[in-house]
Amino acid sequence: MERLDFLRELGNIGIGHATTALSEMLQGKLLRLVVPDARILPFEEAAAYIGGLDEIVAGIFMQISGDVTGHMAFILPIESARTLVELLTQRHGTDEEIFDELGRSALEEIGNIMITSYLNALSALTDLVMSPSIPALAIDMAGAVWESVLAGALVDEAVTIIRTDFSADGVDIGGNIVLLPDEEEFQKIEHALGLEDF
Amino acid sequence: MPKTVLITDDTAFMRMTLKNVIQKNGYIVVGEAADGEEAVAKYLELRPDLVTMDITMPKMDGITAIKEIMRHDPNARIIVCSAMGQKPMVIEALNAGAKDFLVKPFDADRVIEALRKAAP
Amino acid sequence: MQEVFVNMGEIRALARTGVLTTVGLGSCVGVALYDSVAQVGVMGHVFLPTARRRNETVDMPGKYADTAIPALIDEAVRLGAQKRRLWAKLAGGANLFPNLTTSNGNIGSQNIKAVLENLALHDIPVVGQDVSGSHGRKMRFFVEDGRVTVTAIGKEPIDI
Repeated sequence: MERLDFLRELGNIGIGHATTALSEMLQGKLLRLVVPDARILPFEEAAAYIGGLDEIVAGIFMQISGDVTGHMAFILPIESARTLVELLTQRHGTDEEIFDELGRSALEEIGNIMITSYLNALSALTDLVMSPSIPALAIDMAGAVWESVLAGALVDEAVTIIRTDFSADGVDIGGNIVLLPDEEEFQKIEHALGLEDF
Repeated sequence: MPKTVLITDDTAFMRMTLKNVIQKNGYIVVGEAADGEEAVAKYLELRPDLVTMDITMPKMDGITAIKEIMRHDPNARIIVCSAMGQKPMVIEALNAGAKDFLVKPFDADRVIEALRKAAP
Repeated sequence: MQEVFVNMGEIRALARTGVLTTVGLGSCVGVALYDSVAQVGVMGHVFLPTARRRNETVDMPGKYADTAIPALIDEAVRLGAQKRRLWAKLAGGANLFPNLTTSNGNIGSQNIKAVLENLALHDIPVVGQDVSGSHGRKMRFFVEDGRVTVTAIGKEPIDI
């Protein structure tokens, strides 16, 4: 199996669980899940991958410890973040009203549940523990959030990206779930699954 | 007498969600804690019939908090409500004395069922 | 007016006219070097203080503070600047996730420190900066006169 196929499969399983989790939070409102895309990008291309560098996004960032270490992030456009928070808190208002303490904590919890569900799926598959840290949230320029995630994970070479889009009740909600394992860590997952080193 | 509940979760949103569900079903939420330390302190102060416990929290994690509470009160009835549902974590929580382990996201019925079972 | 974008790890230069722009500085530090006599400007977008693997040749010197500063100076000199006339302006080095206790620490402040140390090593004075905090920044460097404007969401633009 090619490494990318393997990653795509891991992404499928993880993101399948993560979006199911989100769907449950939204009481089944989630309708459609676009097949995840997995790719390994050289650093130069990773910088531009997130697109629209000065557009505003919400980013939830977590560190993974345990048998497998690394970082994960859930990055979504501000409009998607707003829609999710409105659906979850049943409130409407200006950005400032929506992203108050309660709104921000709802976003953190969405990120936490999606990322942790993803890890739970990988853990069940591999019997390896992947413990997430407390989620951290930033609402800022996409470029600033993205580079802070990459730098926080010390990813300065190739970047492994697993991305998905989904929509709810006719409202488009899109997002990227990004898994950034520490360099040697994929081998542990591969080994646990009985796969040869590529 | 309605049963009393202490809610522990580091996110305000999840505390609010749990509180709504629990109060709608005839329980009294007597306190909320945002981390393990606060949960232990509030448990000793409020002596609730039931506790909901998150795992990943600042200052003191949920597993440590369960152990602390059980050390003070071996009859404490604690239900874990956590996104982290990996097998070794579930086993550790149950060994520490938790009565049940709910993996987030959960529906309201499942929470109430767990509370009823833990404190009939 | 020509606007040249400087992505993570890149180094770009202009002479006489145009704008060098870095969009979305988070923990990275944008470094502008300028020679006002030659009207030469170079800009870097520094990602980490130093390469983690010392033995590897660095394919993108602009990524790391310790390789970026000499590379920025070389590029300025190549376009006609004199090293002794160069000054620097900095922006960025924020910590967007102050709640996250990561084992890697606060990369933003490590970047600022490394950039300042390497500039000092080459005797380049820092004449303006807008660094730290927990918000992202956009940095625009006008090569005609060396003006640097920093913008952030919900904040008034400032000249440094």
